[in-house]
Amino acid sequence: MTSDASSEERLEEFWRTEHSLKGVLGTVDHKKIGKRYIVTAFLFLVAGGIEALVMRLQLARSNAKVLGPEAYDQLFTMHGMTMIFWYAAPILSGFGNYLVPLMIGSRDMALPRTNAFSYWTFLLSGLFLYAGFAIGDAPHGGWFAYVPYTDARYSPGPNMDFYALALIFLTISTTAGAINFLVTIFRLRAPGMSIDRMPLFMYSTGTTSLLSVLALPALTVACVFLELQRNWGFHFFDPASGGSPLLWQHLFWFFGHPWVYIVFLPATGMISMILPVMARRPIVGYTWVAVATVLTGLVGFGVWVHHMFATGMNTLAMSFFAAASMTISIFSAVQVFAWLATLWHGRPVMTSALRFALGFIALFVIGGLNGIVTALIPFDWQLTDTYFVVAHLHYVLVGANVFPVMAALYYWFPKMTGRLLDERLGWWSFWLMFVGMTAAFLPMHVTGMEGMPRRIYTYPAQMGWDTWNLVISLGAVVFAVGVLVTVVNAVVSRRHGAPAGANPWNADGLEWSMPSPPPSYAFARLPLVAGRHPLWDEHDEFADPLDERRLDDGRLTFATSAVDGVPRAIADMPDDTLLPLLLALALTALLTAVLVKALTLALLLAIAGLALAAVWLWPRQFAEPVA
Amino acid sequence: MSVRPAATLDLLPRDERRGTRAMAQFIATEAALFVVLFFAYFYLQAVNTQWKADAPPKLTLALVMLVLLLASSVTVFAAEWFGKRRRVLATRLALLATWLLGIAFLVLQVFEYRDHLRVLKPSTDAYGSIFYTITSIHGCHVVLGLLMLAFAGLLHHPDHEPEPPYRALHNAALYWHFVDAVWIVIVALLYVLANWSMR
Repeated sequence: MTSDASSEERLEEFWRTEHSLKGVLGTVDHKKIGKRYIVTAFLFLVAGGIEALVMRLQLARSNAKVLGPEAYDQLFTMHGMTMIFWYAAPILSGFGNYLVPLMIGSRDMALPRTNAFSYWTFLLSGLFLYAGFAIGDAPHGGWFAYVPYTDARYSPGPNMDFYALALIFLTISTTAGAINFLVTIFRLRAPGMSIDRMPLFMYSTGTTSLLSVLALPALTVACVFLELQRNWGFHFFDPASGGSPLLWQHLFWFFGHPWVYIVFLPATGMISMILPVMARRPIVGYTWVAVATVLTGLVGFGVWVHHMFATGMNTLAMSFFAAASMTISIFSAVQVFAWLATLWHGRPVMTSALRFALGFIALFVIGGLNGIVTALIPFDWQLTDTYFVVAHLHYVLVGANVFPVMAALYYWFPKMTGRLLDERLGWWSFWLMFVGMTAAFLPMHVTGMEGMPRRIYTYPAQMGWDTWNLVISLGAVVFAVGVLVTVVNAVVSRRHGAPAGANPWNADGLEWSMPSPPPSYAFARLPLVAGRHPLWDEHDEFADPLDERRLDDGRLTFATSAVDGVPRAIADMPDDTLLPLLLALALTALLTAVLVKALTLALLLAIAGLALAAVWLWPRQFAEPVA
Repeated sequence: MSVRPAATLDLLPRDERRGTRAMAQFIATEAALFVVLFFAYFYLQAVNTQWKADAPPKLTLALVMLVLLLASSVTVFAAEWFGKRRRVLATRLALLATWLLGIAFLVLQVFEYRDHLRVLKPSTDAYGSIFYTITSIHGCHVVLGLLMLAFAGLLHHPDHEPEPPYRALHNAALYWHFVDAVWIVIVALLYVLANWSMR
């Protein structure tokens, strides 16, 4: 029998990442990868935000000359793509990466190298997209890239090729990440953590991952079709040769609407973790919230046509999709009322995290309500393609993604860094963001109803939209300052914040059982879970009378059964390796070769990629169990 | 310290299921990919009454190719069966048979394309585009499946085996069955249905 201290030394020896270039590029530690995801996605948020501010400068008054039409088109397309694809989902993957293993009592994700691969492909696909921006040929057809605007006739040049190839690249990253989350959640939960004891974040991340696995292929197919039509003479979307532009819209929104839940559900999951802790009681209606989360995802597959009410379809089909869209609001309402009841029955402690959570609920309800009115088909016919829809989607995406992410940052930053964020700056950040958000997006309902169309780069003075647009632009600046305050807060507090200790919020989750920041192996002994709120109940998760849950003979953690969490095996985790990065680089080169139509080179790179995959999959020497 | 019972948690066997679970998810996302492709096929059919090339793809060759793939599913099943029983030579022979059947499928597909391209090209119309896209994407999956099987076959050596049953072969076999199943659907939808509705 070894002592606890020497056991932790052994664990550290096995799990630590080398302090070297190889360590930096080859780490498979989910905590490092998660933080990288968060920081990278945040940088994309800043990039997308700057693009938005430049657009608002142009739109602040009529007939402004800051941007020409082409530059404006590139900016609004890049803004949409950056925010939706390279910020909103990846930042949630980042929190998921960091938190999922810690919350379920595991030492890493199920497929650590795939995890590193997801990160590198996420980063490199973003850089691939921005390479188009750098050479002045960024995509310019909107983030939804409707044909025929985006086929080769109306959009010659590589702009939309960057769009299609960058998105195909990103779907590889996201699909790999989603598979990893599913395998992790269904295989690596701590002994005793049956599915009715899982933190609610697992339901939202799991549902989201399932949506990614099943919905992303539609985007891949759409982008492959677009590339084939643009460059190789195929006719999927060309009515003269039997194609249909509406096929693009179906494929895109069959993916696109589930994607809305992909960028929103994990955020609700984080709120379901944060809000009860701040209200000092377990969440009301755990089962209802869990079921509502899963149903939102499933019914989310049946609503895509509501993006296409204005395309002319038969009434019965449209009524079906309108009804399905309204059904979703029931599931969202279940979650909202569960949160409100939790607050009502609890004793809320007002912190920045709770403030952002409350702001999220308020904004999300507005975004839900103006969403319901756009599900009313005649109303939608009036407002589609106006600023009303811009207002709706920003209330949903900013309200239900950025605000929960801020709440999560204030809540989990102490776990990640060991330091608390400053609460006073948090107060300023919240109110600047909330006021800025309201000033920027509430008036868009008005300009939308006054008929201001989306995606126009300027408008004449006699339309009378100047005042509201000035208010909107000022609101955008205030919002940006609010985000900046939190950025400054994070940079300063990382070094100078108040020490957090293991559990500054007296929270219930397993991630708060270890020191902050967590050691490389996370758990010195793997927990045995007996309830939904491990740190709040009487049971001691880390009591180990038989001394059987150290697993300090390698990178090891428990593998358990999918439903009941019965221990079944010991999962042996791989060491740090450069292979994920190399494979991601090979993919980047492959897509670049396709972009410049160097097909022989592309084939060679594909073979190189397969060779790397073979090396990757070659069996590792299993660590010998010490019996 | 109390006396430890014979079966404590730290003596559990090594986990081999994460790879299989990941393969199952990968197959699910690939299946969704083909569902979307078939959706596009029927959508294009629904918005058109007449295609330029009035000849449905020939059924005979597609059925022969179907027989080849179904036979290869049997041989890969046999390979797994032998693999579980650690009969290395039999496993390798069964995998070799699978490989030959898969290669024969690809050769026939090349012949079919050469013949069919005379009446229909991808650039002819939307039907040509979707027909060749679906069948060639399936062809790529056959190639990938064969590479997986070759990899598993090369690996299949007693020295490399930590524990029977051997999981890499199992995972590759799962993928191969999936590739075969997709061809059944392609034959049914793109060949049989097209010929039947032309009648």
